[in-house]
Amino acid sequence: MRGYLARKTLVYGLTFVVAVTLNWLIPRLMPGDPVQRMVARAAVQHPETIASMTDYYERTFGLDLPVWQQYLNYWAALFRGDLGTSVWLFPAPVSQVVLDAVPYTLGIMIPAILLSWVVGNSVGAMAARSRWLDNVALPIGYLITAMPYMWLAILLAWGFGVALGWFPVAGGYDFGLVPQWSWSFALDLLQHWVLPFLSLFLVALGGWAIGMRNLIIYELESDYSNYLAALGAPKRLIRKYAFRNAMLPQITGLALQLGTILGGALVTEIVFAYPGLGRLVLSAIQNQDFFLLQGTLLFVVIGVLLANFVIDIVYVLVDPRTRTGLTGATA
Amino acid sequence: MFLRQTRSRGTLALATAAVTGLLLAGCSGGGGSAPTEAPNPYATAEGMDSATELVGEYPREETLFTSGTQWGPPSSWNPIPGAGGATGLGGLLYEPLFQFDPITLELKPWLAEGGEWTGDDTYELTLREGLTWQDGETLDADDVAFTAELGKVDAVPWSNLWTWLDKVEATSPTTVEFTFSDPRYQEWDNWLYTTMILPEHIMGEWSDDELLSNPNEDPIGSGAFKFSAVGQDRMVWERNDDWWAKSELGLEMPMKYIVDVVNTSNEVALGLMLSGSLDLSNNFLPGVNTLADSGQVSTYYDGEPYMLAAASANLIPNQTRAPMDDVDFRQALARSIDVDKIVANAYGGLVSKAHPSGLVPAFEEYYDEDVAAEHGYTFDAEEAKSILADAGYEDTDGDGFVETPDGETIDLKLIVPAGWTDWMESARVIAEDASAVGIKVTADFPDAGAVDDARATGDFDLLINGNAGISNTPWTYYNYAFYQPVQEQMLAGNFGRYEDEEAWDLVQDLSRTESGTPEFSETLSQVQEKFMTDLPAIPLWYNGAWAQYNESQWTNWPTEGREDAYFPVMWNGYVQMGGLNTLLALEPAS
Amino acid sequence: MTATQPTAAPGAEAGETPGVTGPVASGGRKAQGDVRETLYFALRNPKVLIGLVVVLGFLLLGLLGPLFLRHAPMDYAGPPMAPPSADFPFGTTTFGQDVFAQFVAGLRSTFLVGLLGGGVAAVIGMTIGFVAGYRGGLIDELLNMLTNVVLVIPGFVVLIIINAYLGVRSVPMQALYIGIFTWPWVARAVRSQTLSLRSRDFIDLARLSGVGVGTILRREVAPNMYSYLFMTFVLLFGGSILTAASLDFIGLGPTNAMSLGLMMNQAVQWSALHLGLWWWFIPPGLGITLIVGSLYIMNVGLDEVFNPKLREM
Repeated sequence: MRGYLARKTLVYGLTFVVAVTLNWLIPRLMPGDPVQRMVARAAVQHPETIASMTDYYERTFGLDLPVWQQYLNYWAALFRGDLGTSVWLFPAPVSQVVLDAVPYTLGIMIPAILLSWVVGNSVGAMAARSRWLDNVALPIGYLITAMPYMWLAILLAWGFGVALGWFPVAGGYDFGLVPQWSWSFALDLLQHWVLPFLSLFLVALGGWAIGMRNLIIYELESDYSNYLAALGAPKRLIRKYAFRNAMLPQITGLALQLGTILGGALVTEIVFAYPGLGRLVLSAIQNQDFFLLQGTLLFVVIGVLLANFVIDIVYVLVDPRTRTGLTGATA
Repeated sequence: MFLRQTRSRGTLALATAAVTGLLLAGCSGGGGSAPTEAPNPYATAEGMDSATELVGEYPREETLFTSGTQWGPPSSWNPIPGAGGATGLGGLLYEPLFQFDPITLELKPWLAEGGEWTGDDTYELTLREGLTWQDGETLDADDVAFTAELGKVDAVPWSNLWTWLDKVEATSPTTVEFTFSDPRYQEWDNWLYTTMILPEHIMGEWSDDELLSNPNEDPIGSGAFKFSAVGQDRMVWERNDDWWAKSELGLEMPMKYIVDVVNTSNEVALGLMLSGSLDLSNNFLPGVNTLADSGQVSTYYDGEPYMLAAASANLIPNQTRAPMDDVDFRQALARSIDVDKIVANAYGGLVSKAHPSGLVPAFEEYYDEDVAAEHGYTFDAEEAKSILADAGYEDTDGDGFVETPDGETIDLKLIVPAGWTDWMESARVIAEDASAVGIKVTADFPDAGAVDDARATGDFDLLINGNAGISNTPWTYYNYAFYQPVQEQMLAGNFGRYEDEEAWDLVQDLSRTESGTPEFSETLSQVQEKFMTDLPAIPLWYNGAWAQYNESQWTNWPTEGREDAYFPVMWNGYVQMGGLNTLLALEPAS
Repeated sequence: MTATQPTAAPGAEAGETPGVTGPVASGGRKAQGDVRETLYFALRNPKVLIGLVVVLGFLLLGLLGPLFLRHAPMDYAGPPMAPPSADFPFGTTTFGQDVFAQFVAGLRSTFLVGLLGGGVAAVIGMTIGFVAGYRGGLIDELLNMLTNVVLVIPGFVVLIIINAYLGVRSVPMQALYIGIFTWPWVARAVRSQTLSLRSRDFIDLARLSGVGVGTILRREVAPNMYSYLFMTFVLLFGGSILTAASLDFIGLGPTNAMSLGLMMNQAVQWSALHLGLWWWFIPPGLGITLIVGSLYIMNVGLDEVFNPKLREM
């Protein structure tokens, strides 16, 4: 088990380095002189931005320095928590802007992921039990999971927001409100949260249900199931084993799906103008605020890595094989 | 996202609601977003009132919600740079000496009680009695003189004032005398209502550099509203109950708060508008024509063009590049564009076609129709083709597009800012139309900053620009179109870098002539003829003074035919041209 | 990216669960003789049939549709905001553009991006998977590490950065970048398949007869996995389509082409929701959903065809 975790940690460490390196590298592949281009763009509204940005760029890009030193400087700034200054929200530091948006994104993502996983697995397991249910649930599941996130979001916004008027379709809370501790504010937050959450939840739900259904069917066809059946074990028992075995790949699947769901969260937020990271990414793109874009995305990568790590630990705790170190090598 | 003074508390409240509410606190794993009480570096403004501490919710019946002016988070309350300030900074907080009404074309005294030319080159201005700043100091003639003299610093936008102003002197607490070396009547009137009077006791202490760079986070003005709160997505103004105009003019603002919501996108704005969360939107909202027809929102006109015209949108050819330096080519290009199609389809009838003089309809009386009939252009693809052929533009390599008389390939890029959806769509049509007569044009959408850059430095083929808005005089537009000298960086006008001394002399003559005189009309006709024959810019359509109202909370909005109808626009520079009066006239719906 | 990948993919989890290995595990048979049998079962499997018909239908529409259209996708063809009618089966946009014409043009980009993106990912993933699984040892370790690293990086995020900085604005370029970041789960799955095949007798026989590695992979390993590889490609195809649609929707799509994602982007930008122009935003999303959903359902059917045990369920 220790070996397994050490291996995982190595992979994550390496991934982190690669991600940061990509983040460092890509602006340098941009055609033309990036510092010139970025500063020129930023200068439109804030004269004082120029000085601060040129300064920051020179420090982090340090284009006159040898490449390895530029690279090290980039890391140094990163470890100081210095992601630069936002151009669009000048003079707010990127890290602050990102931290402000994070609660919204996590607020829709975490419930959507966990609930869809739990509900999806139960639905999938149920579908595998009856032919009739399977024939209904399977096509529906596949269609839902094949939906582009933003399209489902658009449909929900249009149906429940514009047409029926049950839920607001834009923003994190009403413009007439000031954030505060009160029931009316919490209720308002919740109302704005429902539709973005639902878009994410539904698409993910379809995926989990299908995955579970398929896995259980495979398990039921496997040798041990047949063997148990031949021994005359009750069907319920066989299903229980099948379900348990099928859970493991679903846990790994959770890790694999994180990036996907995250992408979904980003576009969903854009549809609902929900003030999370996705909205931030869009604003950064539209305002050519490359600091903000890079900072946000780096933050997202770190988040995904951490979440993966947590899932791995859960996996170890759940899977008896990794616990005893039997198949620790399948990192 | 949050109001400045409540930001950290807000984050905490939100995070807790999102996490504990769903019993997921332990599982978050992902972002590590524990809200911190760390000092927020951009929550530095002092002077926040306790008002919003007490108000959890802005009382709807006392609050006006506006949007469409601010595109990014408000971050500067410094009126000197003239751009980049929060919505309402000029007009609601700071005030000019005069107001200008672009519907009646009248200058109305505001901080000033009046002003007159006491000699050929002296102007005497009288201030009202009882003017005060929001911190209780008196606003007097010294503040006016101080404001004018700030122009002696090169970076201040009105620094060119001092090329024709000789001196300014406060002769009494309420009178200021201006002595000119070269009195330019048109330009002077313009200065009187576009310049905000600034408090000497505050800005007098700023260094020259600070004049542009100080964000002025605790602004003290003289106007009807004072700074209340700011968030990334909004600017909140609170009524100044000690406003001088209350006692002096008997004016009373009907709303206690104005919340200006940062415009994130058209569809969000439209959604807010339809749900009644927004009372006034000053942004182009696609499809408003259908909503106005069905009565869901109101606009100035009941039918087309729905909006008042605010500025002409011009196609600017870069005349330092071939073939745009050839006037025949420009004439052909102008005739190749079917503006009616843009008006009808891209805008759905929300704008109208521009007069070839480029002047907005408010200056209709100045249109020289004879000149327009002789030299003006209208859409005529055949004529465009024949002008091209006569001037030697032929398709020599058989690709369907003409080459220059020298045989060079023509492949032009028309740039408009990405995200300006109406202009993007229009640019696509222009490119298509030009290509149809054989001029190869492709539309390209760099970000707004890059377009500004290209415009200033002259690194473009074609672009669309509407910087010359409505004003007190047609001179503004021609000053914009012909502005000389051509420099490395063109910021004020003549982005196409047209060079012609004769034309510029005419424009300067125009500035020195008083309106209403026969000389004025005569010079103006000459300028119009020059404009149409040389086409330094090609006026296409009028950008509207976009304004749509939801009348569920506030009524009595400006509409056509009403006596007290004003430009219902809160844009920077337009508050004193009708925005403020629009607000004053509003009435609660209930 | 999109909710398509591993868990929805039968067999994609092969690395973890021995039971989910598709056809190969159920017998080391050679594929050649089975083609006819496979086709026989495939054409009698309703899931395969339905999926195939829908996908091919859209493909034909995309390929042949433009021949019958009177309007180009961007032309102002009719009255603005017209609901669906005989002249304009999908209605018109705010500007009076023919939504159907745009839809047909968008289908082309969609299939192109699926084919290219899925193709690139499949080639990279399969190559790495085969080599890692067959060679083993240090090469396996290194490739496996690489796979795991790319697997954990949120590809969509990297795509956003690449698109924003480098301004990737053509469909093939977009597809290429998508392919570069979506291969890892394929590599993983193929690796474990190869691992299990490697130890089979017929491979050992080939190896004993002195045939080179490449030849063995090509002649012995790959044919035994054709069905599996095909199914993998189908999933990658769908995934690329969804990813591309998301990028287009954010406004990072190709500027010189029409695509279904771009249609949704424009519909939202021009307030189609609030103006009630449902015919503008429903077709593009529905098209994607039907194509990708059909691909998935087809895949389940194929799984049943290739894996006879499942047919009985």
